[in-house]
Amino acid sequence: MDYIIKIKRKKINLLKDRWIWKLAFKDARHNIGRLFLFISSIVIGIAALVAINAFNINLQNDIDDQAKELLGADLEIDADNEEFTTEFISLLDSNQLIYGGDAEFPSMVYFPKNEGSRLIRVKAIEGNFPFYGEIMVWEGSDTETFYGGETVMIDENLALQFDIQVGDSLRLGRAGFIISAIVTQFPGNTTISTSFAPSVYLPYPRLEETGLIQYGSRVDYHKYILFGDKSEEEVLALLKPSMDKYDYRYDTVEEEKENLGENFNNLYKFFNLLSFVALILGSIGVASSVHIYIREKREVAAVLRCLGASGWQVFYIFFLQVVLLGFIGTAIGIVHGILIQYLLPYIVKDFIPIKVNIQFSWIPVAEGLLVGLIMSVLFAVLPLSNIRLISPLAILRSAIEPVKKISKFRYFILFCMLMFPWLFAVSQTKSLIQGSLFFAGLLVTFCLLWLIGWLIIHFTRRFFPVRARFVWRQSLANLFRPNNQTIILVVVIGLGSFLLANMAMIQNSLLGQVEFAGSGERPNTVLFDIQPYQKNELLEFVDEENIEVQQFVPIVTTRLKSVKGRTIEEWQEDTTDHIPNWSLTREYRVTYRDSLIDSETLITGEFISSISKTNDSVFISIEQGMFDRMSLQVGDEIEFNVQGLPVTTYVGSVRKVDWQRIQTNFMVVFPTGILEKAPQFYVLVSRIDQREKAASFQKALVKKFPNISMIDLTLILATLDEIFDKVKMVIQFMALFSVLTGLVVLSGAVVNSKYARLKENVLLRTIGALKKQLVGMTLIEYGYLGMFAGFTGSLLSIVTSWILAKYFFEIEFFPDFISLAIIWILVSLLTILVGWFNTRSILNRSPLEVLRKEV
Amino acid sequence: MDYILEVHHITKKFATGSREITVLNDISFKITKGEGISIVGPSGSGKTTLLGLCAGLDQPSAGSISLMDLQLNRMNEDDRAYVRNQHVGFIFQNFQLLPTITAFENVTIPLEIRGEKNIANKAKDLLARVGLEDRITHYPSQLSGGEQQRVAIARAFISNPKILFADEPTGNLDEETASTITELLFEMNREEKTTLVLVTHNIPLARNTGRILKLKQGKLEEDSLVS
Repeated sequence: MDYIIKIKRKKINLLKDRWIWKLAFKDARHNIGRLFLFISSIVIGIAALVAINAFNINLQNDIDDQAKELLGADLEIDADNEEFTTEFISLLDSNQLIYGGDAEFPSMVYFPKNEGSRLIRVKAIEGNFPFYGEIMVWEGSDTETFYGGETVMIDENLALQFDIQVGDSLRLGRAGFIISAIVTQFPGNTTISTSFAPSVYLPYPRLEETGLIQYGSRVDYHKYILFGDKSEEEVLALLKPSMDKYDYRYDTVEEEKENLGENFNNLYKFFNLLSFVALILGSIGVASSVHIYIREKREVAAVLRCLGASGWQVFYIFFLQVVLLGFIGTAIGIVHGILIQYLLPYIVKDFIPIKVNIQFSWIPVAEGLLVGLIMSVLFAVLPLSNIRLISPLAILRSAIEPVKKISKFRYFILFCMLMFPWLFAVSQTKSLIQGSLFFAGLLVTFCLLWLIGWLIIHFTRRFFPVRARFVWRQSLANLFRPNNQTIILVVVIGLGSFLLANMAMIQNSLLGQVEFAGSGERPNTVLFDIQPYQKNELLEFVDEENIEVQQFVPIVTTRLKSVKGRTIEEWQEDTTDHIPNWSLTREYRVTYRDSLIDSETLITGEFISSISKTNDSVFISIEQGMFDRMSLQVGDEIEFNVQGLPVTTYVGSVRKVDWQRIQTNFMVVFPTGILEKAPQFYVLVSRIDQREKAASFQKALVKKFPNISMIDLTLILATLDEIFDKVKMVIQFMALFSVLTGLVVLSGAVVNSKYARLKENVLLRTIGALKKQLVGMTLIEYGYLGMFAGFTGSLLSIVTSWILAKYFFEIEFFPDFISLAIIWILVSLLTILVGWFNTRSILNRSPLEVLRKEV
Repeated sequence: MDYILEVHHITKKFATGSREITVLNDISFKITKGEGISIVGPSGSGKTTLLGLCAGLDQPSAGSISLMDLQLNRMNEDDRAYVRNQHVGFIFQNFQLLPTITAFENVTIPLEIRGEKNIANKAKDLLARVGLEDRITHYPSQLSGGEQQRVAIARAFISNPKILFADEPTGNLDEETASTITELLFEMNREEKTTLVLVTHNIPLARNTGRILKLKQGKLEEDSLVS
């Protein structure tokens, strides 16, 4: 007898099979609630992506539109610390160019109204600058008298801090002025930058009467040019030879755009990182929720298989549901993303100098649609593909598991699942290296958390406490029993706490940097711009005020004349060396003293403290960075131009300097006995512990020495705290996406384990387990998972935040164990809460009801 | 003889952890077209496993099974699914209706899978034959156990199967309903001239078929005709 072993089946186009569509639709309609986690994962992930990408596009467009307003002119020329030469000014005048200018420098302001004083930034404005953009002022302000040279304007922060109104007066150095305007927005300024150093706007012609610009004053001079009927090329051709001659730098609107783009790079990077994390967590949510859904649909699949449906037909029924709901989730996510982007300008308004105008853009919508569909399909296909392999025998025996076949299809999907986050990270960061690093970082964290989950299972089984009480044994055993969710829960919870802990640690390190600098006996007050004629009087005054002088440092301004026997011009002409031009032409502020201070460590050579005879060789000490930059050797000759006099020196020693300390640090230290007669000014470094004492000292100082400025570290700390509060708000708002997605994924994982535990809990209930015992088991099980995962995530964050602090922010790492402990406890409690919330439906119903309905 | 099902020396083993359990051991029998047989035996004797293998729901570890000259043990899962759809009907103890579609849609599913058109009248006729003409738009959860099993019977017969496998069809029903369902099942089986393979604990029910296969500990202990 011949038997047929291969069937000639009719070819069916599965997607044209009407009943597949019909059944997919009807089944989905009854299961919307069960697919809630799936849709939520997509909605949050896509909302984050669309909101961030749309905001980035709008920001970029606004930078393009507002770059002129930010610069205030067509061209900015920067003369650094020297006034523009008369030759250059003549060049501007002879070419009939319209120009304005400003001189910016730090100084102290004094308000007679309430005797308040603080460090500010003087912005002495010349001409009608800014030419573009609008100065926004309080109601009742008058800018005309300012441009008429009669009055001054001040930043809003300053007015609020000292309760100043239009019409009040202030003192700058020796001169008094009436305030005619309170400025809320000056083109190019941000709220954050003005809270560090608020500005006082002064008409340039009135600058001299303040007497603030003296020897050693650090002033930035700028000229702002309006092209008028000339082109950029024409103006640059006219001015460039002169700008090159005097080493003036310039910025065009195009360059300003680029600079701004670069400044926002970190903001983009941070936002992109958040959207990346939200999307990856969303993808885990998709995979996890589809896994749960398919587990529930096994019986339906087995019935269909039994009635003759092929594996692919069954697969397509659920695949269509996933695609359809993925599309709906993506659409909802896009709508939410578009709405959220309208909130972002309010959240980040203090940090950006431009007004962000939100406009609808199709690009992020298209990106969201594409990524949403890829995400919902790609991460759903692997758990979905299991349904193709469900044996029809499962209809007779529920314990039959799908055949685990490692087919080419599954390998391909796994490969795509790895490629998706990598390609996404690269496209979001627009950098192969950075994107790959993001991806690698996440992958390593994933793998480590996975390993920890596996170790928990392994060690709990190995060292199982057989004599423990029933509830403890049951809950511990749940960690390693079949269908346990230990690994997935550890990964999800661990990742959430890892992200939160990283943010807390970086914030702490940034704050700690400043706090550390001012801790203990370290200086926290710096007085600068002290002129030689004020030296004795000031020291007496400081003594009277009972303030200890920690350092009184002389500063001499010099420039390099020659290095290793070659003049600076020769070095500049030589294109083969790697010495940066700026390090050759810059002004060097040097000091002289006979010993090292505590922020310095001698690396090589001998620190020469003094020279006794005038014809001795002068051995100076060079800072390590400068030593490396200029490829110097101990013994090399360096000739300085000290206020017109050449001084030949030799490199005697190399020092490592801790630049983070709030005190005077120098690239070059001369021995005593050589610069004492040179024109110089002084800086006084001290420590004042009480805030009140610092305030009263500052008040008295400004009255007596109006040109001397004071930096109060405690004030900077307070300002930094305020800024961090705002930054924290932005970070927390943006991190909300990740946290929300994390919660959805966590719920998904817990729901998954709920189904795994359902039958067992119902049976325990049936044979008399008390509700208290079941609740106890649930809480203990999720408590273990939350604790282990939270602890692992927090522990991993110590390593990554150390790496971020050291290599990305380049700051000292200050771990914040209190925040870590808080995050750990909160994550554990949250896990317990979600676990309890999800199992409460079983606990609150009668066993019979559940047995009838679900088992 | 014209056999519809031929079972040759089949063995079925399951692996549970490191252990291997032999559920069926060297079983052979043949069923002719139109014949009705019952498979009986105590719990764990392998009745349901044997039914699953004969219906092509699973593969034997050894031996061969041919259904309508189609050698099931050498076919892949999708080919066997095709065979089931074309030639086999099923009735289960717990009805196994799809919960998210109506009684009418449940009945039409085998023909939908087959790709047939104009099936509504046939489904309605069948539902009327099982006495559910007024329940066609009801979902399974809105039907009683007996009504659900009637829907399952209608579903089993809609594809005009050559062979019908029934696994404890009255196991979940009360005595009165069970008796009605048994009558309906055998009546339709007679009308359609379908071969019936019935797995049951219920010896009186088994006696309604012409032949009884008795299993014990995975072996065919007895193959007897009902007198």
